[in-house]
Amino acid sequence: MSGDPHVAFVGASKRFAEGAQALADVTFHVPRGQFCALVGPSGSGKSTLLRAVNGLTQLSGGEVRVDGVRVDAASLPRIRRKVGMVHQDFGLVSRASVAENMIAGAIAEIPTWRALLGLYPAAHQAKACALLAEVGLAPEHLPRRVSELSGGQRQRVGIARALMLDPEVLVADEPVASLDPRASEEVLDLMRREALARGVTVLCSLHQLDLARRFADRIVALRAGRLMFDGPTDAFDAATEMAIYGPVKESAQ
Amino acid sequence: MTLARDDAPARAAAGWRFPTAMRPRTLLAWLLLLAAVLVSAPSVEAGRMLRMTGEAASALVAGGDSQVLDGLGAIGRQLVPLQIAERREVSRIEGFNRNHLPPFSHVEVAETRTERLDPETLEMRAVVERTEYLVEPFGYLAHVGVKLWETLMIAFWGTLLAVIMSAPLAFLSARNLTPHPAVYGAARAVVSLLRAVPELVSALFLVVAYGFGPIAGVLALALHGAGFLGKFYAEDVEAADPKPQEALAATGANRLKVLRFAILPQVLPQYIGYTLYVLDRNFRMATVVGLVGAGGIGQELKGRFDMYNYHHVGTILVAMFAAVFLIDQVSARLRRAHF
Repeated sequence: MSGDPHVAFVGASKRFAEGAQALADVTFHVPRGQFCALVGPSGSGKSTLLRAVNGLTQLSGGEVRVDGVRVDAASLPRIRRKVGMVHQDFGLVSRASVAENMIAGAIAEIPTWRALLGLYPAAHQAKACALLAEVGLAPEHLPRRVSELSGGQRQRVGIARALMLDPEVLVADEPVASLDPRASEEVLDLMRREALARGVTVLCSLHQLDLARRFADRIVALRAGRLMFDGPTDAFDAATEMAIYGPVKESAQ
Repeated sequence: MTLARDDAPARAAAGWRFPTAMRPRTLLAWLLLLAAVLVSAPSVEAGRMLRMTGEAASALVAGGDSQVLDGLGAIGRQLVPLQIAERREVSRIEGFNRNHLPPFSHVEVAETRTERLDPETLEMRAVVERTEYLVEPFGYLAHVGVKLWETLMIAFWGTLLAVIMSAPLAFLSARNLTPHPAVYGAARAVVSLLRAVPELVSALFLVVAYGFGPIAGVLALALHGAGFLGKFYAEDVEAADPKPQEALAATGANRLKVLRFAILPQVLPQYIGYTLYVLDRNFRMATVVGLVGAGGIGQELKGRFDMYNYHHVGTILVAMFAAVFLIDQVSARLRRAHF
Protein backbone atom coordinates (compact mmCIF):
# COMPACT_ATOMS: atom_id res chain seq x y z
CA MET A 1 0.00 0.00 0.00
CA SER A 2 1.44 3.32 -1.01
CA GLY A 3 1.25 6.49 1.03
CA ASP A 4 -0.33 8.35 -1.87
CA PRO A 5 -3.19 10.34 -0.30
CA HIS A 6 -6.39 9.24 -2.00
CA VAL A 7 -8.94 11.01 0.16
CA ALA A 8 -7.64 13.97 2.12
CA PHE A 9 -9.43 16.12 4.69
CA VAL A 10 -7.74 19.44 5.24
CA GLY A 11 -9.05 21.46 8.17
CA ALA A 12 -12.54 20.16 7.48
CA SER A 13 -15.13 22.09 9.53
CA LYS A 14 -18.88 22.15 9.51
CA ARG A 15 -21.19 24.38 11.44
CA PHE A 16 -24.89 23.82 10.82
CA ALA A 17 -27.28 26.70 10.40
CA GLU A 18 -28.72 25.96 13.85
CA GLY A 19 -25.26 26.66 15.23
CA ALA A 20 -24.19 23.13 16.08
CA GLN A 21 -20.54 22.47 15.36
CA ALA A 22 -20.43 19.06 13.66
CA LEU A 23 -16.80 19.11 12.57
CA ALA A 24 -13.92 21.21 13.84
CA ASP A 25 -10.71 21.39 11.86
CA VAL A 26 -10.37 17.72 10.97
CA THR A 27 -7.22 16.90 9.02
CA PHE A 28 -6.10 13.46 7.91
CA HIS A 29 -5.72 11.53 4.71
CA VAL A 30 -6.44 8.02 3.60
CA PRO A 31 -3.99 6.32 1.24
CA ARG A 32 -5.20 4.41 -1.80
CA GLY A 33 -6.55 0.96 -1.03
CA GLN A 34 -6.79 1.41 2.74
CA PHE A 35 -9.80 0.30 4.81
CA CYS A 36 -10.23 3.12 7.27
CA ALA A 37 -12.79 2.83 10.06
CA LEU A 38 -14.32 5.97 11.50
CA VAL A 39 -15.51 5.59 15.09
CA GLY A 40 -16.89 7.85 17.80
CA PRO A 41 -20.05 8.38 19.83
CA SER A 42 -23.36 9.37 18.25
CA GLY A 43 -23.25 12.94 17.03
CA SER A 44 -19.46 13.06 16.84
CA GLY A 45 -19.52 14.08 13.17
CA LYS A 46 -18.78 10.74 11.46
CA SER A 47 -21.69 11.03 9.01
CA THR A 48 -20.98 14.66 8.25
CA LEU A 49 -17.38 13.85 7.42
CA LEU A 50 -18.36 10.98 5.13
CA ARG A 51 -21.08 12.98 3.40
CA ALA A 52 -18.59 15.74 2.66
CA VAL A 53 -16.66 13.33 0.42
CA ASN A 54 -19.44 13.15 -2.19
CA GLY A 55 -20.91 16.56 -1.52
CA LEU A 56 -24.12 15.46 0.23
CA THR A 57 -23.01 17.88 2.93
CA GLN A 58 -21.06 21.03 2.16
CA LEU A 59 -18.24 21.95 4.51
CA SER A 60 -18.31 25.40 6.03
CA GLY A 61 -14.53 25.45 6.31
CA GLY A 62 -11.54 23.54 5.00
CA GLU A 63 -11.78 21.07 2.14
CA VAL A 64 -11.90 17.47 1.03
CA ARG A 65 -9.75 16.26 -1.82
CA VAL A 66 -10.35 13.10 -3.75
CA ASP A 67 -7.35 12.07 -5.84
CA GLY A 68 -6.01 15.58 -5.43
CA VAL A 69 -9.20 17.23 -6.72
CA ARG A 70 -11.04 19.55 -4.37
CA VAL A 71 -14.69 18.59 -3.86
CA ASP A 72 -16.81 21.55 -4.97
CA ALA A 73 -19.81 22.28 -7.17
CA ALA A 74 -17.72 22.14 -10.34
CA SER A 75 -15.94 18.86 -9.63
CA LEU A 76 -18.91 17.16 -7.96
CA PRO A 77 -20.39 15.38 -11.00
CA ARG A 78 -17.07 13.66 -11.71
CA ILE A 79 -16.33 12.95 -8.07
CA ARG A 80 -19.74 11.41 -7.43
CA ARG A 81 -19.08 8.80 -10.10
CA LYS A 82 -15.77 7.94 -8.51
CA VAL A 83 -17.18 7.65 -4.99
CA GLY A 84 -19.60 4.84 -4.26
CA MET A 85 -21.74 5.04 -1.15
CA VAL A 86 -23.18 2.39 1.14
CA HIS A 87 -25.96 3.63 3.41
CA GLN A 88 -27.07 2.77 6.92
CA ASP A 89 -30.66 2.05 5.88
CA PHE A 90 -29.51 0.73 2.50
CA GLY A 91 -30.95 3.61 0.47
CA LEU A 92 -32.79 1.13 -1.73
CA VAL A 93 -36.33 1.48 -3.04
CA SER A 94 -37.94 -1.38 -1.18
CA ARG A 95 -40.93 -1.57 -3.54
CA ALA A 96 -38.73 -1.90 -6.60
CA SER A 97 -37.04 -5.09 -7.72
CA VAL A 98 -33.43 -5.91 -6.99
CA ALA A 99 -32.74 -5.55 -10.73
CA GLU A 100 -34.20 -2.02 -10.87
CA ASN A 101 -32.22 -0.99 -7.81
CA MET A 102 -29.02 -2.31 -9.35
CA ILE A 103 -29.59 -0.43 -12.60
CA ALA A 104 -30.35 2.68 -10.52
CA GLY A 105 -26.76 2.48 -9.26
CA ALA A 106 -25.45 3.05 -12.78
CA ILE A 107 -28.22 5.34 -13.94
CA ALA A 108 -25.94 8.38 -13.98
CA GLU A 109 -24.07 6.73 -16.84
CA ILE A 110 -27.10 5.62 -18.86
CA PRO A 111 -28.58 8.07 -21.38
CA THR A 112 -31.79 9.62 -20.07
CA TRP A 113 -34.02 8.33 -22.89
CA ARG A 114 -32.82 4.78 -22.36
CA ALA A 115 -33.32 5.14 -18.62
CA LEU A 116 -36.87 6.43 -19.02
CA LEU A 117 -37.86 3.79 -21.58
CA GLY A 118 -36.32 1.00 -19.52
CA LEU A 119 -33.97 0.02 -22.37
CA TYR A 120 -30.93 -0.53 -20.21
CA PRO A 121 -27.64 -1.24 -22.01
CA ALA A 122 -26.74 -4.93 -22.09
CA ALA A 123 -23.36 -4.17 -20.53
CA HIS A 124 -25.03 -2.69 -17.44
CA GLN A 125 -27.45 -5.56 -17.16
CA ALA A 126 -24.59 -8.05 -17.33
CA LYS A 127 -22.63 -6.08 -14.78
CA ALA A 128 -25.56 -6.01 -12.37
CA CYS A 129 -25.85 -9.80 -12.63
CA ALA A 130 -22.11 -10.32 -12.16
CA LEU A 131 -21.98 -8.07 -9.10
CA LEU A 132 -25.00 -9.69 -7.48
CA ALA A 133 -23.43 -13.09 -7.99
CA GLU A 134 -20.24 -11.76 -6.44
CA VAL A 135 -21.97 -10.53 -3.29
CA GLY A 136 -23.71 -13.87 -2.90
CA LEU A 137 -27.21 -13.41 -4.28
CA ALA A 138 -28.93 -15.88 -6.56
CA PRO A 139 -30.52 -15.30 -9.98
CA GLU A 140 -34.01 -15.72 -8.52
CA HIS A 141 -33.43 -12.61 -6.39
CA LEU A 142 -33.29 -10.37 -9.48
CA PRO A 143 -37.05 -9.87 -9.99
CA ARG A 144 -37.82 -9.86 -6.25
CA ARG A 145 -38.72 -6.72 -4.41
CA VAL A 146 -36.09 -5.47 -2.00
CA SER A 147 -38.73 -5.59 0.75
CA GLU A 148 -38.71 -9.38 0.46
CA LEU A 149 -34.98 -9.63 1.25
CA SER A 150 -33.37 -9.98 4.67
CA GLY A 151 -31.36 -7.09 6.11
CA GLY A 152 -28.08 -8.74 5.24
CA GLN A 153 -29.20 -9.40 1.68
CA ARG A 154 -30.35 -5.81 1.33
CA GLN A 155 -26.97 -4.47 2.33
CA ARG A 156 -25.33 -6.92 -0.08
CA VAL A 157 -27.46 -5.35 -2.81
CA GLY A 158 -26.46 -1.94 -1.43
CA ILE A 159 -22.77 -2.82 -1.80
CA ALA A 160 -23.27 -4.31 -5.25
CA ARG A 161 -25.13 -1.17 -6.33
CA ALA A 162 -22.31 1.03 -5.02
CA LEU A 163 -19.89 -0.94 -7.22
CA MET A 164 -21.93 -0.47 -10.42
CA LEU A 165 -19.92 2.58 -11.47
CA ASP A 166 -16.52 1.03 -10.61
CA PRO A 167 -15.77 3.52 -7.85
CA GLU A 168 -12.26 4.21 -6.59
CA VAL A 169 -13.54 5.16 -3.17
CA LEU A 170 -16.26 3.51 -1.13
CA VAL A 171 -17.91 5.61 1.56
CA ALA A 172 -19.96 3.58 4.02
CA ASP A 173 -22.09 5.39 6.59
CA GLU A 174 -22.82 2.91 9.42
CA PRO A 175 -23.37 0.12 6.90
CA VAL A 176 -24.16 -2.48 9.58
CA ALA A 177 -26.05 -0.37 12.12
CA SER A 178 -29.39 -1.97 11.27
CA LEU A 179 -28.09 -5.54 10.97
CA ASP A 180 -27.76 -8.34 13.47
CA PRO A 181 -24.21 -9.28 14.63
CA ARG A 182 -23.83 -12.20 12.27
CA ALA A 183 -25.03 -10.30 9.20
CA SER A 184 -22.84 -7.36 10.26
CA GLU A 185 -19.74 -9.52 10.16
CA GLU A 186 -20.68 -11.02 6.83
CA VAL A 187 -21.35 -7.63 5.27
CA LEU A 188 -18.10 -6.11 6.55
CA ASP A 189 -16.17 -9.15 5.42
CA LEU A 190 -17.73 -8.84 1.99
CA MET A 191 -16.96 -5.13 1.81
CA ARG A 192 -13.35 -5.75 2.77
CA ARG A 193 -12.90 -8.51 0.22
CA GLU A 194 -14.47 -6.49 -2.59
CA ALA A 195 -12.37 -3.46 -1.73
CA LEU A 196 -9.19 -5.49 -1.61
CA ALA A 197 -9.91 -7.19 -4.93
CA ARG A 198 -10.50 -3.85 -6.65
CA GLY A 199 -7.98 -1.72 -4.80
CA VAL A 200 -10.81 0.51 -3.59
CA THR A 201 -10.22 2.90 -0.73
CA VAL A 202 -12.84 2.47 2.02
CA LEU A 203 -14.00 5.01 4.56
CA CYS A 204 -16.45 3.30 6.87
CA SER A 205 -18.09 4.62 10.00
CA LEU A 206 -18.94 2.04 12.63
CA HIS A 207 -20.26 2.11 16.12
CA GLN A 208 -19.10 -1.37 17.08
CA LEU A 209 -15.45 -1.05 18.08
CA ASP A 210 -14.83 -4.77 17.95
CA LEU A 211 -15.86 -4.80 14.29
CA ALA A 212 -13.65 -1.80 13.57
CA ARG A 213 -10.70 -3.59 15.18
CA ARG A 214 -11.31 -6.75 13.22
CA PHE A 215 -11.95 -5.39 9.74
CA ALA A 216 -10.12 -2.09 9.42
CA ASP A 217 -6.49 -1.32 8.62
CA ARG A 218 -6.71 1.89 10.53
CA ILE A 219 -9.02 3.63 12.95
CA VAL A 220 -9.84 7.32 13.04
CA ALA A 221 -11.84 8.45 16.06
CA LEU A 222 -13.90 11.59 16.43
CA ARG A 223 -15.48 13.15 19.45
CA ALA A 224 -17.67 16.25 19.24
CA GLY A 225 -16.35 16.94 15.75
CA ARG A 226 -12.66 16.77 16.70
CA LEU A 227 -10.11 14.23 15.62
CA MET A 228 -9.17 12.34 18.79
CA PHE A 229 -7.25 9.36 17.50
CA ASP A 230 -5.67 8.28 14.25
CA GLY A 231 -3.62 5.14 14.06
CA PRO A 232 -3.37 1.47 13.23
CA THR A 233 -6.03 -0.84 14.59
CA ASP A 234 -3.95 -2.39 17.35
CA ALA A 235 -2.99 1.01 18.76
CA PHE A 236 -6.61 1.69 19.61
CA ASP A 237 -6.50 0.37 23.16
CA ALA A 238 -8.82 0.46 26.16
CA ALA A 239 -7.40 3.77 27.39
CA THR A 240 -8.06 5.42 24.02
CA GLU A 241 -11.55 4.02 24.00
CA MET A 242 -12.18 5.50 27.43
CA ALA A 243 -10.87 8.89 26.29
CA ILE A 244 -13.21 8.96 23.31
CA TYR A 245 -16.39 7.43 24.63
CA GLY A 246 -15.97 8.54 28.23
CA PRO A 247 -17.00 6.46 31.21
CA VAL A 248 -20.29 4.62 30.93
CA LYS A 249 -22.71 6.93 32.65
CA GLU A 250 -25.04 5.57 35.28
CA SER A 251 -28.04 7.61 34.15
CA ALA A 252 -27.79 6.62 30.49
CA GLN A 253 -30.46 4.15 29.60
CA MET B 1 -33.46 -14.97 37.59
CA THR B 2 -35.80 -13.41 40.12
CA LEU B 3 -38.49 -10.90 39.47
CA ALA B 4 -38.04 -7.45 40.96
CA ARG B 5 -39.72 -6.92 44.29
CA ASP B 6 -42.92 -4.92 44.43
CA ASP B 7 -41.43 -1.95 46.24
CA ALA B 8 -38.56 -1.39 43.80
CA PRO B 9 -40.46 -0.29 40.64
CA ALA B 10 -43.05 1.53 42.74
CA ARG B 11 -40.36 3.82 44.13
CA ALA B 12 -38.76 4.34 40.71
CA ALA B 13 -42.01 5.50 39.07
CA ALA B 14 -43.20 7.54 42.05
CA GLY B 15 -42.96 10.89 40.24
CA TRP B 16 -44.43 9.58 36.98
CA ARG B 17 -47.77 10.65 35.70
CA PHE B 18 -49.44 8.95 32.77
CA PRO B 19 -50.86 11.63 30.42
CA THR B 20 -54.66 11.81 30.56
CA ALA B 21 -56.46 11.26 27.30
CA MET B 22 -59.42 13.56 28.05
CA ARG B 23 -57.81 16.94 28.41
CA PRO B 24 -59.64 20.27 28.66
CA ARG B 25 -58.75 20.94 25.03
CA THR B 26 -60.39 17.71 23.89
CA LEU B 27 -63.49 18.49 25.92
CA LEU B 28 -63.65 21.98 24.43
CA ALA B 29 -63.44 20.56 20.92
CA TRP B 30 -66.39 18.25 21.63
CA LEU B 31 -68.43 21.12 23.07
CA LEU B 32 -67.67 23.28 20.02
CA LEU B 33 -68.83 20.48 17.73
CA LEU B 34 -72.06 20.15 19.72
CA ALA B 35 -72.63 23.90 19.53
CA ALA B 36 -72.03 23.84 15.76
CA VAL B 37 -74.64 21.10 15.37
CA LEU B 38 -77.23 22.96 17.41
CA VAL B 39 -76.64 26.34 15.75
CA SER B 40 -76.72 24.98 12.21
CA ALA B 41 -79.71 22.64 12.63
CA PRO B 42 -82.42 25.24 11.81
CA SER B 43 -80.73 26.27 8.56
CA VAL B 44 -81.08 22.79 7.13
CA GLU B 45 -84.50 22.10 8.68
CA ALA B 46 -82.97 19.26 10.65
CA GLY B 47 -86.09 18.98 12.83
CA ARG B 48 -88.46 18.49 9.90
CA MET B 49 -86.02 16.06 8.31
CA LEU B 50 -85.97 13.90 11.43
CA ARG B 51 -89.74 14.07 11.90
CA MET B 52 -90.61 13.14 8.31
CA THR B 53 -88.04 10.36 8.15
CA GLY B 54 -89.37 9.02 11.45
CA GLU B 55 -92.92 9.11 10.11
CA ALA B 56 -91.84 7.23 7.01
CA ALA B 57 -90.08 4.61 9.09
CA SER B 58 -93.10 4.09 11.36
CA ALA B 59 -95.46 3.99 8.37
CA LEU B 60 -93.26 1.36 6.81
CA VAL B 61 -93.32 -0.79 9.94
CA ALA B 62 -96.77 -0.17 11.44
CA GLY B 63 -98.68 1.34 8.54
CA GLY B 64 -100.13 4.83 8.44
CA ASP B 65 -99.68 8.04 6.51
CA SER B 66 -96.33 9.41 5.39
CA GLN B 67 -95.76 12.19 2.90
CA VAL B 68 -92.30 10.85 2.12
CA LEU B 69 -93.53 7.34 1.31
CA ASP B 70 -96.42 8.69 -0.77
CA GLY B 71 -94.02 10.80 -2.81
CA LEU B 72 -91.52 8.02 -3.35
CA GLY B 73 -94.34 5.58 -4.14
CA ALA B 74 -95.81 7.89 -6.75
CA ILE B 75 -92.47 8.16 -8.52
CA GLY B 76 -91.76 4.47 -8.16
CA ARG B 77 -95.11 3.47 -9.69
CA GLN B 78 -94.43 5.65 -12.70
CA LEU B 79 -90.98 4.20 -13.30
CA VAL B 80 -92.25 0.65 -13.76
CA PRO B 81 -92.68 -1.18 -16.03
CA LEU B 82 -89.28 -0.37 -17.42
CA GLN B 83 -89.13 0.61 -21.04
CA ILE B 84 -87.32 -2.14 -22.89
CA ALA B 85 -88.75 -2.06 -26.37
CA GLU B 86 -88.75 0.75 -28.85
CA ARG B 87 -91.76 1.44 -31.08
CA ARG B 88 -91.41 4.00 -33.81
CA GLU B 89 -93.66 5.10 -36.60
CA VAL B 90 -92.23 3.79 -39.85
CA SER B 91 -93.09 6.96 -41.73
CA ARG B 92 -90.80 8.90 -39.43
CA ILE B 93 -87.77 6.68 -39.90
CA GLU B 94 -85.35 8.00 -42.44
CA GLY B 95 -84.13 5.51 -45.03
CA PHE B 96 -86.49 2.76 -43.84
CA ASN B 97 -85.94 -0.43 -45.78
CA ARG B 98 -88.75 -2.93 -45.51
CA ASN B 99 -86.61 -5.78 -46.81
CA HIS B 100 -83.81 -5.11 -44.39
CA LEU B 101 -85.19 -4.74 -40.90
CA PRO B 102 -82.93 -4.42 -37.85
CA PRO B 103 -82.39 -7.74 -36.01
CA PHE B 104 -85.26 -9.10 -33.88
CA SER B 105 -87.61 -6.40 -35.08
CA HIS B 106 -90.92 -6.58 -36.85
CA VAL B 107 -93.41 -4.19 -38.36
CA GLU B 108 -96.71 -3.79 -36.57
CA VAL B 109 -99.82 -2.35 -38.11
CA ALA B 110 -102.17 -0.45 -35.94
CA GLU B 111 -105.63 0.42 -37.10
CA THR B 112 -107.37 3.37 -35.60
CA ARG B 113 -111.00 4.07 -36.28
CA THR B 114 -111.98 7.66 -36.29
CA GLU B 115 -115.16 9.48 -37.25
CA ARG B 116 -114.52 12.01 -39.87
CA LEU B 117 -116.65 14.53 -41.66
CA ASP B 118 -117.15 13.68 -45.31
CA PRO B 119 -116.79 16.95 -47.19
CA GLU B 120 -119.18 15.81 -49.96
CA THR B 121 -122.04 14.36 -48.00
CA LEU B 122 -121.42 16.43 -44.89
CA GLU B 123 -121.97 13.33 -42.82
CA MET B 124 -119.79 11.73 -40.20
CA ARG B 125 -118.15 8.58 -41.50
CA ALA B 126 -116.05 5.99 -39.80
CA VAL B 127 -112.56 5.89 -41.25
CA VAL B 128 -109.93 3.29 -40.53
CA GLU B 129 -106.42 4.65 -40.44
CA ARG B 130 -103.52 2.28 -40.75
CA THR B 131 -100.27 3.24 -39.14
CA GLU B 132 -97.16 1.11 -39.43
CA TYR B 133 -94.80 0.83 -36.50
CA LEU B 134 -91.36 -0.65 -36.36
CA VAL B 135 -91.09 -2.58 -33.11
CA GLU B 136 -87.69 -3.49 -31.75
CA PRO B 137 -88.22 -5.65 -28.65
CA PHE B 138 -84.92 -4.57 -27.06
CA GLY B 139 -84.55 -1.33 -28.94
CA TYR B 140 -84.60 1.06 -26.04
CA LEU B 141 -82.34 -1.12 -23.92
CA ALA B 142 -79.83 -1.15 -26.77
CA HIS B 143 -80.10 2.62 -27.06
CA VAL B 144 -79.41 3.00 -23.33
CA GLY B 145 -76.46 0.65 -23.74
CA VAL B 146 -75.03 2.84 -26.48
CA LYS B 147 -75.47 5.93 -24.31
CA LEU B 148 -73.85 4.18 -21.34
CA TRP B 149 -70.91 3.24 -23.53
CA GLU B 150 -70.62 6.86 -24.61
CA THR B 151 -70.66 7.90 -20.94
CA LEU B 152 -67.94 5.39 -20.15
CA MET B 153 -65.84 6.78 -22.98
CA ILE B 154 -66.38 10.31 -21.69
CA ALA B 155 -65.19 9.18 -18.26
CA PHE B 156 -62.20 7.37 -19.75
CA TRP B 157 -61.11 10.34 -21.83
CA GLY B 158 -61.73 12.74 -18.97
CA THR B 159 -59.46 10.62 -16.79
CA LEU B 160 -56.83 10.21 -19.49
CA LEU B 161 -56.59 13.96 -20.06
CA ALA B 162 -56.63 14.57 -16.29
CA VAL B 163 -53.62 12.28 -15.82
CA ILE B 164 -51.75 13.94 -18.68
CA MET B 165 -52.44 17.43 -17.34
CA SER B 166 -51.77 16.60 -13.71
CA ALA B 167 -48.35 14.99 -14.20
CA PRO B 168 -46.49 18.24 -14.90
CA LEU B 169 -48.62 20.08 -12.33
CA ALA B 170 -47.68 17.55 -9.65
CA PHE B 171 -44.03 17.81 -10.59
CA LEU B 172 -44.10 21.60 -10.27
CA SER B 173 -46.20 21.71 -7.13
CA ALA B 174 -44.20 19.19 -5.12
CA ARG B 175 -41.94 21.03 -2.70
CA ASN B 176 -38.99 18.72 -3.25
CA LEU B 177 -39.06 18.78 -7.06
CA THR B 178 -40.19 22.26 -8.00
CA PRO B 179 -37.53 24.28 -9.79
CA HIS B 180 -38.40 27.52 -7.98
CA PRO B 181 -40.61 28.60 -5.04
CA ALA B 182 -42.52 30.99 -7.33
CA VAL B 183 -43.28 28.13 -9.73
CA TYR B 184 -44.38 26.07 -6.75
CA GLY B 185 -46.81 28.78 -5.64
CA ALA B 186 -48.21 29.24 -9.15
CA ALA B 187 -48.64 25.49 -9.70
CA ARG B 188 -50.38 25.11 -6.33
CA ALA B 189 -52.73 27.95 -7.23
CA VAL B 190 -53.62 26.35 -10.56
CA VAL B 191 -54.26 23.01 -8.86
CA SER B 192 -56.53 24.63 -6.26
CA LEU B 193 -58.42 26.57 -8.92
CA LEU B 194 -59.02 23.44 -11.00
CA ARG B 195 -60.28 21.59 -7.96
CA ALA B 196 -62.42 24.49 -6.78
CA VAL B 197 -64.60 24.56 -9.90
CA PRO B 198 -67.11 21.69 -9.85
CA GLU B 199 -67.54 19.64 -13.01
CA LEU B 200 -71.15 20.70 -13.38
CA VAL B 201 -70.23 24.37 -13.39
CA SER B 202 -67.41 24.10 -15.88
CA ALA B 203 -69.62 21.84 -18.02
CA LEU B 204 -72.23 24.61 -18.18
CA PHE B 205 -69.66 26.97 -19.65
CA LEU B 206 -68.02 24.35 -21.86
CA VAL B 207 -71.39 23.39 -23.38
CA VAL B 208 -71.75 27.02 -24.44
CA ALA B 209 -68.22 27.02 -25.85
CA TYR B 210 -68.14 23.62 -27.58
CA GLY B 211 -71.84 22.94 -28.09
CA PHE B 212 -73.94 20.01 -26.86
CA GLY B 213 -72.19 16.67 -26.81
CA PRO B 214 -69.36 14.72 -25.27
CA ILE B 215 -66.54 17.25 -25.81
CA ALA B 216 -67.81 19.53 -23.05
CA GLY B 217 -68.21 16.53 -20.75
CA VAL B 218 -64.70 15.20 -21.39
CA LEU B 219 -63.10 18.59 -20.80
CA ALA B 220 -65.13 19.34 -17.67
CA LEU B 221 -64.13 16.03 -16.12
CA ALA B 222 -60.52 16.43 -17.21
CA LEU B 223 -60.14 19.87 -15.63
CA HIS B 224 -61.52 18.86 -12.26
CA GLY B 225 -59.69 15.52 -12.30
CA ALA B 226 -56.39 17.25 -13.07
CA GLY B 227 -56.81 19.42 -9.99
CA PHE B 228 -57.60 16.43 -7.83
CA LEU B 229 -54.80 14.24 -9.15
CA GLY B 230 -52.29 17.09 -9.17
CA LYS B 231 -52.83 17.66 -5.47
CA PHE B 232 -52.61 14.01 -4.48
CA TYR B 233 -49.73 13.11 -6.79
CA ALA B 234 -47.76 16.07 -5.41
CA GLU B 235 -48.44 15.14 -1.81
CA ASP B 236 -47.22 11.60 -2.40
CA VAL B 237 -44.08 12.82 -4.10
CA GLU B 238 -43.41 15.03 -1.09
CA ALA B 239 -43.99 12.15 1.32
CA ALA B 240 -41.73 9.71 -0.55
CA ASP B 241 -38.81 8.29 1.44
CA PRO B 242 -35.89 10.69 0.80
CA LYS B 243 -33.14 8.14 1.47
CA PRO B 244 -33.25 6.35 -1.91
CA GLN B 245 -33.42 9.78 -3.56
CA GLU B 246 -30.28 10.86 -1.78
CA ALA B 247 -28.60 7.56 -2.59
CA LEU B 248 -29.22 8.12 -6.29
CA ALA B 249 -28.21 11.76 -6.17
CA ALA B 250 -24.95 10.55 -4.59
CA THR B 251 -24.19 8.53 -7.73
CA GLY B 252 -24.48 11.68 -9.81
CA ALA B 253 -27.94 10.96 -11.26
CA ASN B 254 -29.91 14.02 -12.44
CA ARG B 255 -33.34 15.01 -11.14
CA LEU B 256 -35.31 13.31 -13.86
CA LYS B 257 -33.55 10.02 -13.22
CA VAL B 258 -34.01 10.36 -9.47
CA LEU B 259 -37.70 10.96 -10.12
CA ARG B 260 -37.96 7.86 -12.30
CA PHE B 261 -35.85 5.47 -10.20
CA ALA B 262 -36.23 6.62 -6.60
CA ILE B 263 -39.62 8.38 -6.43
CA LEU B 264 -41.83 6.77 -9.05
CA PRO B 265 -41.47 3.19 -7.78
CA GLN B 266 -42.47 4.41 -4.32
CA VAL B 267 -45.56 6.35 -5.37
CA LEU B 268 -46.81 4.27 -8.30
CA PRO B 269 -49.24 2.05 -6.34
CA GLN B 270 -50.93 5.08 -4.79
CA TYR B 271 -51.03 6.77 -8.20
CA ILE B 272 -52.83 3.81 -9.67
CA GLY B 273 -55.25 3.89 -6.75
CA TYR B 274 -56.02 7.60 -7.20
CA THR B 275 -56.38 7.23 -10.94
CA LEU B 276 -58.84 4.35 -10.57
CA TYR B 277 -60.79 6.39 -8.04
CA VAL B 278 -60.96 9.31 -10.47
CA LEU B 279 -62.11 6.99 -13.25
CA ASP B 280 -64.81 5.60 -10.99
CA ARG B 281 -65.90 9.05 -9.92
CA ASN B 282 -65.74 10.39 -13.47
CA PHE B 283 -68.16 7.75 -14.63
CA ARG B 284 -70.72 8.91 -12.09
CA MET B 285 -69.98 12.56 -12.79
CA ALA B 286 -70.23 11.97 -16.54
CA THR B 287 -73.91 11.18 -16.07
CA VAL B 288 -74.35 14.36 -14.05
CA VAL B 289 -72.65 16.65 -16.56
CA GLY B 290 -74.84 15.00 -19.18
CA LEU B 291 -77.79 16.70 -17.50
CA VAL B 292 -76.56 20.06 -18.76
CA GLY B 293 -76.12 18.68 -22.27
CA ALA B 294 -72.58 17.36 -22.13
CA GLY B 295 -73.39 14.04 -23.80
CA GLY B 296 -73.89 10.49 -22.67
CA ILE B 297 -76.61 8.85 -20.61
CA GLY B 298 -77.19 12.00 -18.55
CA GLN B 299 -78.35 13.91 -21.58
CA GLU B 300 -80.74 11.08 -22.43
CA LEU B 301 -82.01 11.03 -18.85
CA LYS B 302 -82.69 14.75 -18.85
CA GLY B 303 -84.50 14.55 -22.18
CA ARG B 304 -86.75 11.68 -21.08
CA PHE B 305 -87.45 13.30 -17.75
CA ASP B 306 -88.51 16.54 -19.42
CA MET B 307 -90.81 14.59 -21.75
CA TYR B 308 -92.39 12.78 -18.76
CA ASN B 309 -91.23 9.41 -20.17
CA TYR B 310 -90.87 7.92 -16.72
CA HIS B 311 -90.67 4.31 -17.94
CA HIS B 312 -87.64 5.30 -19.95
CA VAL B 313 -86.22 7.09 -16.90
CA GLY B 314 -86.65 3.87 -14.93
CA THR B 315 -84.67 1.89 -17.49
CA ILE B 316 -81.90 4.48 -17.46
CA LEU B 317 -81.67 4.46 -13.66
CA VAL B 318 -81.49 0.69 -13.46
CA ALA B 319 -78.87 0.57 -16.22
CA MET B 320 -76.81 3.24 -14.50
CA PHE B 321 -76.93 1.40 -11.21
CA ALA B 322 -75.85 -1.82 -12.88
CA ALA B 323 -72.98 -0.07 -14.66
CA VAL B 324 -71.68 1.63 -11.52
CA PHE B 325 -71.88 -1.63 -9.61
CA LEU B 326 -69.96 -3.40 -12.35
CA ILE B 327 -67.28 -0.73 -12.47
CA ASP B 328 -66.90 -0.86 -8.69
CA GLN B 329 -66.26 -4.58 -8.91
CA VAL B 330 -63.71 -4.23 -11.69
CA SER B 331 -61.81 -1.38 -10.07
CA ALA B 332 -61.74 -3.13 -6.69
CA ARG B 333 -60.27 -6.17 -8.40
CA LEU B 334 -57.69 -4.06 -10.24
CA ARG B 335 -56.66 -2.37 -7.02
CA ARG B 336 -56.29 -5.64 -5.15
CA ALA B 337 -54.21 -7.04 -7.98
CA HIS B 338 -51.80 -4.16 -7.71
CA PHE B 339 -51.16 -3.66 -4.02
